[in-house]
Amino acid sequence: MSQFRAKKLDIGCYINIRNIRDHTKRKVFAENEPERQALRYLIRNTTLPQRVRAQAQIQLAQMHCYTRYTQVKNRCIMGGKGRGIFSDFRLGRYQFRLNALAGNLPGVKKASW
Amino acid sequence: MSVPRPRVLALMKLQSTIFATTFNPSAARLGTSILGQRLRGPAIASYYPPRVGTIPQLRALYPEREILDDREEDWLEHQQIARSRGKGNPKKKTSAAESKKFSKKR
Repeated sequence: MSQFRAKKLDIGCYINIRNIRDHTKRKVFAENEPERQALRYLIRNTTLPQRVRAQAQIQLAQMHCYTRYTQVKNRCIMGGKGRGIFSDFRLGRYQFRLNALAGNLPGVKKASW
Repeated sequence: MSVPRPRVLALMKLQSTIFATTFNPSAARLGTSILGQRLRGPAIASYYPPRVGTIPQLRALYPEREILDDREEDWLEHQQIARSRGKGNPKKKTSAAESKKFSKKR
């Protein structure tokens, strides 16, 4: 799926192929979202002729898998990890801990009572 | 205490004009909920921070200043040295016959 990938590196965070791939998928999704929504509307509208709806269904199913939101995964921007991500901070749990203890995350404080 | 149907319909019509929704008394599936959804593409695509402060970007921003790229210069120097020692890249083959010259024979 390298046909979608940017020719020049365009992300400034931690870089590995999985992060680059996910970034590519996000961009492709953003580009194709209006088209997907239009097709979904055609499919869901029961007042349209059955033929049109079926065609829209086929067209939606034949779109590239990168245009699908389910392909997108939140990854850690400082370590590239794919699991245990705090989506508010876009960090994996260990990177979150390190950065929180170092005071890099405004408003985050170690709980103690 | 039942409200007559025409009166309910009139209320629905007025509601739809006020809130800019489609008047759909038969509750047919029109897919309008999909049209009303916001596009989340821009928010999703901006998850990873963009790459900023690269040398070409700086050069484009400040064309009047001369910006040196240490890594590029090191690389060019290395290339120069390699070439002078005869260790440079081979010349580009321009024709098919030329490129076959050194290929292994079966």
